[in-house]
Amino acid sequence: MNALIKLELVRAFRNKKFLFFSVLYPAILFLIIAGNAKDTRVDGTGLTLPTYMMVSMASFGALTAVLMGNSERIAKEREGGWVRQLRLTPLPGRGYVLAKTASAAVVSLPSIVVVFLAGAVIKHVRLDAWQWLALTGIIWAGSLVFAALGVAIGYVASGDAVRPITMIVYFGLSILGGLWMPTTTFPQFLQDIAKWLPTHAYAALGRAIEQSQAPHTTDIAILAVYFVLFAGGAAWLYRKDTLKA
Amino acid sequence: MTTTAAPATATPVVGFDQVTKTYGSVRAVDGLSLALHPGETVALLGPNGAGKSTTLDLLLGLKNADSGTVNVFGTSPREAIVAGRVGAMLQSGGLMDEVTVGEMVKLACSLHPKAYKAADVMARAGITQIADRKVNKLSGGQSQRVRFALATAGDSDLIILDEPTTGMDVSARQAFWATMREQADQGRTVLFATHYLEEADAIADRVLVLHRGRLLADGTAAEIKAKAGARRIAFDLEGAIDEAALRALPFLTSVDVSGQTVRIQSSDADATVHALYGLGVYPRNLEVAGLGLEQAFVAITQAEEAKQS
Repeated sequence: MNALIKLELVRAFRNKKFLFFSVLYPAILFLIIAGNAKDTRVDGTGLTLPTYMMVSMASFGALTAVLMGNSERIAKEREGGWVRQLRLTPLPGRGYVLAKTASAAVVSLPSIVVVFLAGAVIKHVRLDAWQWLALTGIIWAGSLVFAALGVAIGYVASGDAVRPITMIVYFGLSILGGLWMPTTTFPQFLQDIAKWLPTHAYAALGRAIEQSQAPHTTDIAILAVYFVLFAGGAAWLYRKDTLKA
Repeated sequence: MTTTAAPATATPVVGFDQVTKTYGSVRAVDGLSLALHPGETVALLGPNGAGKSTTLDLLLGLKNADSGTVNVFGTSPREAIVAGRVGAMLQSGGLMDEVTVGEMVKLACSLHPKAYKAADVMARAGITQIADRKVNKLSGGQSQRVRFALATAGDSDLIILDEPTTGMDVSARQAFWATMREQADQGRTVLFATHYLEEADAIADRVLVLHRGRLLADGTAAEIKAKAGARRIAFDLEGAIDEAALRALPFLTSVDVSGQTVRIQSSDADATVHALYGLGVYPRNLEVAGLGLEQAFVAITQAEEAKQS
């Protein structure tokens, strides 16, 4: 299975477009959005805009890395027969999905770190060492929720439909969850929706650390429920697909 | 198993016992029983929809039987694959986009418990010179050879090939079968499905004919041809031809008169030719020949269709 992970990685790092959108794009977006508003405090958080947005964009980058590549690849490789071919090898059935998830996790780490570097070096975001480490760890770990979602989409969508479906989910979750702008700027009814989205809870974890707090139980619970939902759905869809393949 | 042809001590390489698989109302495989023995090179033939793909899928554990049992080396298909005893090349099997041929083969080798060196595998499959090419940039024949390399990445005892030469030109096909024969000569059991009946005729030492999910014939190519029963008789006649008299000849299965040439298929060529001379005609350029496997195959499956309709 390590060989498959390695090959998935080789392939991911060969794909310039994917690397740009998952590693560089979030950092660039961060630099644009964080702007020069160094002293603007985001409502109710006490955090400066760059500090606030840094977590949003790191989360966004990790989301891109784990969601975008996998859903499309899985859907296409199911149709193209690669999944069948792998089933003719001693690789355990779940090895395919695990390799995909592991390789996405490897790509998501630089996308988080690059945003942090941009924040620290260019936007002068200052945090304690433990905060940087905890942020990296929690955003990285939290991205597993969306990796599971990516797998589920890959198994539910056909090769033609997978891109639009992924895009809708991706932008929907990013924007409504407040990764691009604080949800406090939303009208009330959108805020009511946003607070139940996994991306909202995801960014809130990191923000709590920036505020030197423990992550809120509600956010952890929301993410846990989504993880069970996505991973369970992915497992169920995977099994269904295996029976008909 | 009901088969007793093999010595009782030998576990069949592949054993199907009363296997049935249905999709909705269609019985893709219908009470199929068969046994493959070590070292056999077996061709699986059948018209489209005969259940060949489903049979291979069941054999490889890609599908589960509704009833009956499938054994490979006395274990489940999956266990046999995990033990590295089965190498397979499926038509529906895809490759991993955007990686090179060499990377693909190396992956297959690292997944196989009894792997060969990747370089050797590529050399044998004739893909060394395209090792740096991306797999999504290959011609049909080249992809087939890469699939073949994946199927032979290790020392497997059973090799399954589904339409292996599709997309290859004549010389590539010959080269392919030469490679395949080497595999068989090393004592491997080879099972292949094909549309090219001349391949089955030339390569297989046993031919299975599937029809509507059932085994219609099982034997050597010669036996299958004999089972089809018919021989071809062709001759020329001068002057007016009395077609009605020809049609009245015994043991005919078909008559075709075009110009002065008469082509007959007969289930007892000796008797038919004897009766032909009894008509008082003088057939010239008389030829009596056995059916090719292709014609035998058509004869067998059509006879079965006729029986069922």
